[in-house]
Amino acid sequence: MKRIAIVEDEVAIRENYKDVLQQHGYSVQTYADRPSAMLAFNTRLPDLAIIDIGLGNEIDGGFTLCQSLRALSNTLPIIFLTARDSDFDTVCGLRLGADDYLSKEVSFPHLTARLAALFRRSELAASQTPKENLLERGPLTIDANRMQVYWDQHPIELTVTEFWMVHALAKHPGHVRSRHELMQEAKIFVDDSTITSHVKRIRKKFMAAAPEFDCIDTVYGMGYRWDSLA
Amino acid sequence: MTRFPFGLRTKVIGLSLFLLCLPWLGYQYVWEMEKYLRHGQERTLEGTTQALATALHERPKLFDGQASFLKQVEKSRDLYAYPLAGAILLDGKLNEWQEYQHRFIQYGQANLIMRADPNIPLTLSFTHMVGQYDGYLYAFFQVVDPTLVYRGKNALSVDRNDHLSIATLAPDNQFKRYIVATTQPGWISAFELPANPKQTVPVTPEVRIQGQWAATDVGYNIELRIPLDMVGSKLGFAINDVNDSKYRDISAIVGTSALDTVDKLGTVLVPSPEIESIIKGMSHYSSRVWVVDKHGRVLAKSGDIRANSSVWTRTLEDEASNSLWESFKRNYLHPLYYKILTKPPQDFIDSLQDSTELDGSHIRKALAGQQSSTWRLTPDNKAVVLAAASPIWIDNNVLGAVVAEETTHGIRTLRNRALEKLFNVILTIMSMGTLALFFFASSISNRIRKLRDEAENAIDSQGRVRNHLKPSKARDEIGDLSRSFSSIVGRLGQYTHYLENMSSRLSHELRTPVAVVRSSLEHLNLQTLDKDTQKYVDRAQEGVSRLSMILNNMSEATRLEQSLTQADITKFPLSQVVSGCMQGYQMTYPEQHFSVKVPEQSLMMQGVPEYIAQLMDKLIANALEFCDTGSAIEVTLTQVGKQATLLISNLGPELPSDMSEQIFDSMVSVRINQAQDKPHLGLGLYIARLVAEFHQGQILARNRSDHKGVDILVTLPLS
Repeated sequence: MKRIAIVEDEVAIRENYKDVLQQHGYSVQTYADRPSAMLAFNTRLPDLAIIDIGLGNEIDGGFTLCQSLRALSNTLPIIFLTARDSDFDTVCGLRLGADDYLSKEVSFPHLTARLAALFRRSELAASQTPKENLLERGPLTIDANRMQVYWDQHPIELTVTEFWMVHALAKHPGHVRSRHELMQEAKIFVDDSTITSHVKRIRKKFMAAAPEFDCIDTVYGMGYRWDSLA
Repeated sequence: MTRFPFGLRTKVIGLSLFLLCLPWLGYQYVWEMEKYLRHGQERTLEGTTQALATALHERPKLFDGQASFLKQVEKSRDLYAYPLAGAILLDGKLNEWQEYQHRFIQYGQANLIMRADPNIPLTLSFTHMVGQYDGYLYAFFQVVDPTLVYRGKNALSVDRNDHLSIATLAPDNQFKRYIVATTQPGWISAFELPANPKQTVPVTPEVRIQGQWAATDVGYNIELRIPLDMVGSKLGFAINDVNDSKYRDISAIVGTSALDTVDKLGTVLVPSPEIESIIKGMSHYSSRVWVVDKHGRVLAKSGDIRANSSVWTRTLEDEASNSLWESFKRNYLHPLYYKILTKPPQDFIDSLQDSTELDGSHIRKALAGQQSSTWRLTPDNKAVVLAAASPIWIDNNVLGAVVAEETTHGIRTLRNRALEKLFNVILTIMSMGTLALFFFASSISNRIRKLRDEAENAIDSQGRVRNHLKPSKARDEIGDLSRSFSSIVGRLGQYTHYLENMSSRLSHELRTPVAVVRSSLEHLNLQTLDKDTQKYVDRAQEGVSRLSMILNNMSEATRLEQSLTQADITKFPLSQVVSGCMQGYQMTYPEQHFSVKVPEQSLMMQGVPEYIAQLMDKLIANALEFCDTGSAIEVTLTQVGKQATLLISNLGPELPSDMSEQIFDSMVSVRINQAQDKPHLGLGLYIARLVAEFHQGQILARNRSDHKGVDILVTLPLS
């Protein structure tokens, strides 16, 4: 049974998430603040951690916790689940090594889908199963099972949300994907400007590997489109 | 804003007009000084007269004339031998006398001495005057006598015809009588009568009395001269008229005085050459000096009142210098000053030019034994004459007075000089003071205006704090004001910032409870519920999702502001962004008609295209909301110079007045309170403004010119 740790200072939310995750067959430990969570993590690491940023009177306690966890394990999937929705916090959280950054508005089905995806990714990354279910668009290769993206055989580190968005775009190159469609594919529910900043981050990640990357095209007023290299 | 006529500078200049009191005060002061100077002049002049009088005290010889002892003198009886300007030609024609006409004395009925028959009207009268020149006493008689009776050619008697009789108390105290008669007009013959007044014979010819007898239309003229040493202090003339050439009786005698006795004789005053020689020396120091006898008759005179020999004028030597300041003073200042000041005139009418008799309070006082002085104005009002008089004492009697006269020109010149200097100084002080005040006021008003401009710039028309005021370091009140303004603006800025961030913080705080509700509802949903419960859970979920949408909208503006600070600016085609957005809207809202006009060229600009798209979203959403059903929304993009103008125009309700600025503020909405299916926080146009301002553009809303709707105009600079 997968063990999930929830670090969240709000009791009602903590319990609600705990309940729903237990219903999905996960073993759940909950912690109200950073010290108690750290104490437990030092003894035994969970398989996945869901962390709030503001913990009790520590405004950025979640970030500190994330850093400590990442120090303990390089592969442990970490998800930020927070009420904070500013770009700054998102960038900050992802830079500290979190695998995904979710708003508390995310619905239970979306949350569980994401957890499942993360678990799958970490499992498949560990095993050496042959690559299958591959999607190739020029230099881009998408491994849907492992939830991995490669550009010219170089892996691109994407969060689950980002992976799903790239997947949605590249599935039908040349077709315009509206922001709404992207949201559905990525199983998040946010406003348009959050999608914009996600796309921006995806572009940056690709451009870090290949500076000439120009495959995600903005269609103003409508959405985005995957332009295969001609 | 700048109302100059009432600015500080104008006020200070107005106040500095009080400096004009200074010349007035100075003027008053100089006047006061002049009063003292006049007083001094009075004293000096009195001193002069006193000194002169001292020289004349107790010298009875100078005043031995009989008139000195008379109680009073009578003009017609007591004669005054006026000093003549030149010799008289003894021709009986009187030409030389004309300039002394005002001194002629008329004798007639009033001076009748004897008349034979009172019933016969008097026909005799004459005009007479005596004068002296060069040791001679000159006299003329212009006699009106209808019948001339000359002395018979062979007559022995000299008095049985028209004749002139003369009597005098000679200097040797001998009573002498003479008769002037003639047998025909021409040189006269004079005869000395016997000493006994009763006798008329025998007569001895007297050749020292010379003259002419000339017949005229109305009578005859006699012109004669007598050596002064023959004449004493007493003298009388009488015209004897004979009308009957047969009996030759004297019918009337008219004369200056009765000639029979010494006592009845009138006096003559011959101005004394000795006194004159004494006072002559004085005339070098004083303007004009007179010595008068106790009757006010002039005994001697010296000096000229017009000569500037007064002690007051001598000190004022002008040093002519040709410096710039001097010539400026001469050419510009003096003409100005002498519009107010008067230069003492050299030319004025002197009423006492050649008086033989002086009168005035000072002389009366002096003759009463008191020193005194008086001021008088010349008849033409041009000059003021100061006169001082001191008594001359002889044996405890006042026998005369010394009178000195002077104009006040010296003092007036002094006063003018003082005023000139004063005005110069005051002018300098005033101009410098006014200038200094002006600069002071200018600097103050500049500082205040700077502060005002800063204060106005600190807060824009929508009341937001644009930039902070730099507190002044000056330690005066304006500095204080600046500092307090600065702190006010600072606090206002904090408050505005608090307000602007309020929605974001509120949304953040609300998010957690909303998450609690949402997750709990989802739990409920996961369980199998009966139909009724399901209905309420659905409603609750709908409410929660609306609530979270509100929260999203609320934080959208803050998120945008945050991301704007770290946005990557690129060059992009504005027209393509606009047309792309419009295509998207057309797809999203197929029912709505859009009328789009976008130019062919791409209109490149610097910025973030996503934000421009966001701005379009907000403006179109706004237009959609307010536009009348079935009407088109017009979107026009044009290039005006180096700017692109985006006009979004919709038909519908107009803007409330005064709201065209505020609708772009955070949390301002002008929607009427109608049933709303979507939350409205008034943040859409605020976001549009943020984006426009981020691109150095402007956004404004106005009613359409046809008053059927609203235009929203965005101006963006092109690169």
